[in-house]
Amino acid sequence: MHRLFSTFIKEFKILIVDKTGITILFVMPVLLVFIMTLIQHQAYKSLSQSGIPVLLVNNDNDSLGIALENGFKKFSICELTVDHGEKYKTSADIKKRIVEGEFLVALVIPKDATEVLRGNVQEMVDTFFDQKKPGQASSPQVKIEIIVDPTASKSFLMAINSSLKEMIASIKTKVLFQIMGEKIAVLLESEKKPPLPEKDFFVYDEGFALREGKDTYQPNAVQHNIPAWAIFSIFFIVLPLAGSIIYERTEGLFIRMRTFPGSYLSILSGKLFVYFLVALLQFGMIIILGKFVMPLIGLPSLDIGTHWFALTILTIMLSLSAVSYGLLVGTLFNTPQQSAVFGGISILIMSALGGIWVPVNIMPPVMQTISSLSPLNWALTGYYELFIKGGDWYAIQNQIIKLSVFFLLCTAISYRLYKLKLRTY
Amino acid sequence: MQQDHCIRISNLSKKYSGTSSYALKDLNLDIVNGEIFGLLGPNGAGKTTFFSIVCGLMKASSGTAEIAGYSISKDLESIKRIVGVVPQDIALYPTLSGRDNLLFIGRMYGLKGKILKERVQECLSKFGFDKNSEMPVKTYSGGMKRRINLIGGILHEPSILLLDEPTVGMDVQTRTSMMEHLKDLNANKKMTILYTSHYLEQAELFCDRVAIMDQGKILCLGKPADLIKNENGNDLEDVFLKYTGRKIRD
Repeated sequence: MHRLFSTFIKEFKILIVDKTGITILFVMPVLLVFIMTLIQHQAYKSLSQSGIPVLLVNNDNDSLGIALENGFKKFSICELTVDHGEKYKTSADIKKRIVEGEFLVALVIPKDATEVLRGNVQEMVDTFFDQKKPGQASSPQVKIEIIVDPTASKSFLMAINSSLKEMIASIKTKVLFQIMGEKIAVLLESEKKPPLPEKDFFVYDEGFALREGKDTYQPNAVQHNIPAWAIFSIFFIVLPLAGSIIYERTEGLFIRMRTFPGSYLSILSGKLFVYFLVALLQFGMIIILGKFVMPLIGLPSLDIGTHWFALTILTIMLSLSAVSYGLLVGTLFNTPQQSAVFGGISILIMSALGGIWVPVNIMPPVMQTISSLSPLNWALTGYYELFIKGGDWYAIQNQIIKLSVFFLLCTAISYRLYKLKLRTY
Repeated sequence: MQQDHCIRISNLSKKYSGTSSYALKDLNLDIVNGEIFGLLGPNGAGKTTFFSIVCGLMKASSGTAEIAGYSISKDLESIKRIVGVVPQDIALYPTLSGRDNLLFIGRMYGLKGKILKERVQECLSKFGFDKNSEMPVKTYSGGMKRRINLIGGILHEPSILLLDEPTVGMDVQTRTSMMEHLKDLNANKKMTILYTSHYLEQAELFCDRVAIMDQGKILCLGKPADLIKNENGNDLEDVFLKYTGRKIRD
């Protein structure tokens, strides 16, 4: 214990006199998390709040045009400009405005679109009631023009397209209902003409699959990015730790340490303990950033759930995993340069696979399988369980077990490598 | 376990894996208590291999080595407590001060609290570090680093001190001062000193006995004056060249 404490004191002093090292260990991760969350916040905002300029040129001014107009007015991501053919008369006019950046997307509903739609539906109903042969219909199709800025994000265009099709399908159903009603009224010799139904036949109630006890959740950049980038930052402790291990092993220090009474591994444990505490401290600082600093600049506050025990255990295992990986890299390589390149790139790969940069569920199936091998993915899944889904200790047990196995494996391999390398000294 | 023979080496051999020749071959050597013993030899003679085995850093291929009656292969932990080691490379943390380095080394040898602080201060004063002990080691001159490196080996007052080329890169003044300190430790604390060196003149003045070795074998052994006399040389360098030849070594 005395040796462990002595090494701890020594490592602590080495850290605090190294101003650059302290900056790298504490300021850089906080800065990284802060910047990445801010950037992602804009992306979340653009998909969940208003602000995307959309032009709707409604030349129809009948049921279809009005329905689309009302529909897009309710579409929260759009900042809608409606023109009834007064200002934008040709496609060229509209394209020019889009090129100039005034609008991101324009939808042009042609004149008499409702009439054409009615004609089509009427023809379809007549075919059914009057026993006409299919294929005799001659009404033209309604051509809705969609003009887009080539820089517009694909996901946004997909959202616009899908909404447009949904609205058209809805109005088509209503028109069909109205015309069918009229036809039936004629057959029944009734004077009543059915009106165009105002209400949609379906309403959608979307919700998130959350654990018991968690009622609501609003997706936001803080909740998704802070745990992700915190894990990424903590794993970067591998670089200074591996560098420090290699420095000690390749300088005369290693000879002196091995001539001290007791095992060198107990001295190494003191070093690892310091870096373990650094990792915990890093995580704590990032949590404080998310919970208390982010709201000061208008971002949501990080919700860390209520399962403190589970959160503590998960964070301890994450830190131990990062430290043990640093030990492995530091033992495996012989120069700080080798360890820095391998350590850095391997963390980037593990983080990319682990869903830190892009969600795992949008990766190809093969990559999703590989992703499940990344310790960063295990940790991220655990934090999402606690922070987003409202999970507790039982919900993250698998992640804890996987991280524990990773820690033990890295430590065991490092020990074996150390013993093998000792033969060459 | 005090014995007349402080270090006893019997038929010690070392062959590195993947090599055909021996780094040490059937080495026999006795060093008595309180002796200053110099191990001399050209590059590749086997000095560092011998030093590493005696320090417990490396295992011998065959043979035995005993220090103060303890077997290196069986009682290494007991040996570590009574031996001080001064490696050839500077074994210090450059960003820590000389004092902090010594405090760490002292703690590793089990020194604690007031005793540790007093011992560190005593050594720092004795080796001329009254002013610079709080400065980072990286700001020290080569000689200052060597002195702190040496203090690291004697801080816990070992009965045996093993030094590998302790004066490499030192100017004459620092070298002389350091050797005087070692002589003083030997005289007053009865410390047995085994050291390897290239400085033959220094060994001639400083050592009670020397061994000249090459190609893993001891070629001659005795008091410097006796060796010079027996070989009709003017100094130890003549004896050294006679035994090891003039061929440049890698």
